[in-house]
Amino acid sequence: MKQENIRNFCIIAHIDHGKSTLADRILEKTGALDKRELKEQTLDSMDIERERGITIKLNAVQLKYKYNSEEYYLHLIDTPGHVDFSYEVSRSLAACEGALLVVDAAQGIEAQTLANLYLALDNNLKVIPVINKIDLPSADVDKVLEELENIGFDKDEVVLTSAKTGVGIDELLTKIIEVIPAPKGEKDKPLQALIFDSLFDSYRGVITSIRVVEGEVKVGDVIKMMETGAVYDVVGLSINTPKEVAVKSLKAGEVGYLFASIKSISDVEVGDTITLENNKAPSRLPGYKPMKPMVYCGIYPIESNKFEDLREALEKLKLNDAALTFEPETSKALGFGFRCGFLGLLHMEIIEERIEREFHIDLIATSPSVVYEVIQTDESKVLVDSPAKMPRREVISKTLEPYVKCSIFTPSDYIGPLMELCQEKRGNFINIDYLDKERVTINYEIPLSEIVYDFFDKLKSYTKGYASFDYELIGYKESNLVKMDILLNGEVVDALSIIVHKDFAYNRGRAVVEKLKEIIPRQMFEVPVQAAIGMHVIARETIRAMRKDVLAKCYGGDVTRKRKLLEKQKAGKKRMKQIGSVEVPQEAFLSILSTGDKK
Amino acid sequence: MKSIGCYIHIPFCESICSYCDFCKNFYNEKQVDAYLKELEREIEDSYSKLPIDTLYIGGGTPSSLNIKQLEKLFEIINKKLDLSILKEFTIECNFENTTIEKINLFKKAGINRISFGLESINGDILKILERDANKENITKLINYCNQIGINNVNIDLMYAIPNETLKILEDDLDFILSLNINHISTYSLILEDHTKLKINNIKYIDEELDAKMYELICSKLENWDHYEISNFAKHKSYRSNHNLKYWHNEEYYGFGLGSSGYEGNIRYTKTKSLSKYLSGDYINKDSIEYLSPKDKIYYDIILNLRTKEGIDLEKFSKIYKKNLKDYYDYTDLVKNNLLIEKDNHLSIKEDLWYISNSIIIRFLEGEVTNE
Repeated sequence: MKQENIRNFCIIAHIDHGKSTLADRILEKTGALDKRELKEQTLDSMDIERERGITIKLNAVQLKYKYNSEEYYLHLIDTPGHVDFSYEVSRSLAACEGALLVVDAAQGIEAQTLANLYLALDNNLKVIPVINKIDLPSADVDKVLEELENIGFDKDEVVLTSAKTGVGIDELLTKIIEVIPAPKGEKDKPLQALIFDSLFDSYRGVITSIRVVEGEVKVGDVIKMMETGAVYDVVGLSINTPKEVAVKSLKAGEVGYLFASIKSISDVEVGDTITLENNKAPSRLPGYKPMKPMVYCGIYPIESNKFEDLREALEKLKLNDAALTFEPETSKALGFGFRCGFLGLLHMEIIEERIEREFHIDLIATSPSVVYEVIQTDESKVLVDSPAKMPRREVISKTLEPYVKCSIFTPSDYIGPLMELCQEKRGNFINIDYLDKERVTINYEIPLSEIVYDFFDKLKSYTKGYASFDYELIGYKESNLVKMDILLNGEVVDALSIIVHKDFAYNRGRAVVEKLKEIIPRQMFEVPVQAAIGMHVIARETIRAMRKDVLAKCYGGDVTRKRKLLEKQKAGKKRMKQIGSVEVPQEAFLSILSTGDKK
Repeated sequence: MKSIGCYIHIPFCESICSYCDFCKNFYNEKQVDAYLKELEREIEDSYSKLPIDTLYIGGGTPSSLNIKQLEKLFEIINKKLDLSILKEFTIECNFENTTIEKINLFKKAGINRISFGLESINGDILKILERDANKENITKLINYCNQIGINNVNIDLMYAIPNETLKILEDDLDFILSLNINHISTYSLILEDHTKLKINNIKYIDEELDAKMYELICSKLENWDHYEISNFAKHKSYRSNHNLKYWHNEEYYGFGLGSSGYEGNIRYTKTKSLSKYLSGDYINKDSIEYLSPKDKIYYDIILNLRTKEGIDLEKFSKIYKKNLKDYYDYTDLVKNNLLIEKDNHLSIKEDLWYISNSIIIRFLEGEVTNE
């Protein structure tokens, strides 16, 4: 493989703008797969990814393409398309020299597209703008062209495609070869290979996706992870075409997979650099950051005897997901479970869904919390990732919460309502950037906990779905935080407690008790639902007692029907958790999140 | 020798009520004739010859049959079934098509209990239910029953019907109580699939009002024997022995289209397709439920707990050779006054009957699983 004939590139796009379909079309055009072999969206291999239309785990494919009677090797590196995974995105970008910036011809540029574009530019990538879905009746190519010009592209650089019909794909492939530079790097230097993804395979252990930046790695080499210090023998190397093909070595500029009988994914950190144990590189490649969970929640099995199964499920998922953290936690209301840390809300939802779907464990998840800092009167600092860990009020000197810089990309019509929303979410205005007359980026500093709460839903409903947003952590700020408890039938349900800003506690409390009244079915007795700060009740609702649950009729001695009815009632109850004397459905624990639209 | 109950279904009606999802067909003289012939064959085919102590002819509307057909029905019954120890013989009737002549025939056939479907006397409610009722006719027929010695008469009353008020219900009850009857069955409206009401998207009344209606019925019938959630007898001696078989988890034959039965270790429901039935394909195979001892215990619990006396613990341990406590741990339920254990019976207090399913579910959750 001639190094000057290699092109490493990725595709960056907003969710739904057709990234995966475009990738499929490129695979088809380069003969990597014929139409028959193409399951829809080949690169996204997990069911959930396909259903949600997002790419969770990364993937790299080698494609061959003849151009000017020369054979070129195109390495297409897939990236996740969600803000939760922005670090992983940045590492995939670092493995490339170029990127295709895909914009939907009907929707235009969105916040995420921009965020990823800036990431790509930060990584010194050559960017080819692509307007996709030009076949759509609602496509407005001229408008999108203008938008691209406004962010600094030249009209001539833009490629128009329809991944659906195949229009423009040849032109795009040519552009990739002509515009994206070949990788630099020297084969004879000490090995520096970037880990940009890893995956656990139950037969082969951890499979590491690498981009060799300098030097060469061969089967049999002894390698060392520069950050974790772990040392392994290389058992195998391969490339994905997208069928797996074993190779003997990977040289500077090349992309492939490395197997080294690695049992724990924690030894393989995305962003780390692989070098040779006996010919070490002088330094790590730049850009490494340890992964840190941003959002925590308690996860409990509905059936308490499933605790060990849940542990096993989390351990298995952890093998494949270095960002997931968990440790045992006990709740008075929910029994034994785990406090789990996630990169963001989407990451959390995906993990919960995978546990329920792949491991068949019914879960209760408590409402997500960010990590707060509490400075105690003795000046010691406590990290609070769960309301249960909040110190007593008497020993708190001050409380801090994480803030993010939030960039909202929106048509200018919605500036008013969005600023109102940000204000309501305790945001501090930074500025507004005008992209053109109709599109703006609004920048705010907002507490992360507000983003975790219902920001996204509100953003979408305030702007009929037109706005999109992206955020990055900027640090901690002092904030007047209190723990709010929820009482059912006079008893505190620890799993329902949340940490809120004191000035907003009353509204949150009202919303939560109203929502719980709606969700918790009538019981055999009246159940008061209260929100309280300390001993002080700030909101109250009452769930009236159930009055009737029997049916009287018995036609012609058909008592089997009575049994069926009873069994149905019983099954419904199984999905509920007994808390004290009250039966609480699963959704109740998340209801604290979704009180959004009710006022 | 063991005795058993028997239910015979007559699936014909002259008009179809808006709420009814039970097995029914429009009355058609020829079809009824064919049906009765087939019924005779079915009984010959599947009757295991146990003597019958309670016999119940239900519908549909048995009284929609003409005199000749009723005679044929009684002839089959007398010829084919062992009625040597028959105690109670009930027929379901509709006031609109019951005549003095038919009542005379019932008397002659040995019927000693008549169950009339009334449901309501209020014009607006009857319109919703698509039924008819005439006070004079009702009074006349019931008086006649008493006159000739059929003095065990039941009235079915339905409540919780859209637009119904407590006042309407009270008027219904007052009318029923003015009649010379000694048994009342009350049912709150159930919106079943494929009924006119359901198709027309009728909704249930408020749960609170429904419960208040039930309370009104209970208080109006305070001096009656409230022996099962929905059944009241003027005196204990007027309880329906046949219906008690259902609630006591005792056996009964089911003959006729769509009828259910319980024999030995099997519960079954006959086919609801008239054409299948007429071609001799009686049983709906999917409906057969084979009962393990555990299943029987399950039924013992869910059915008996609907009655005033509840589960007879002595009888239970005689049948299953172990105490109920060994199968289900219900100590908490007794402690919390959800169950009453008294005189070797375990029962739910009357004021909790309307939410008894919740209690029964809790009971079932206490299953002892140390085997």
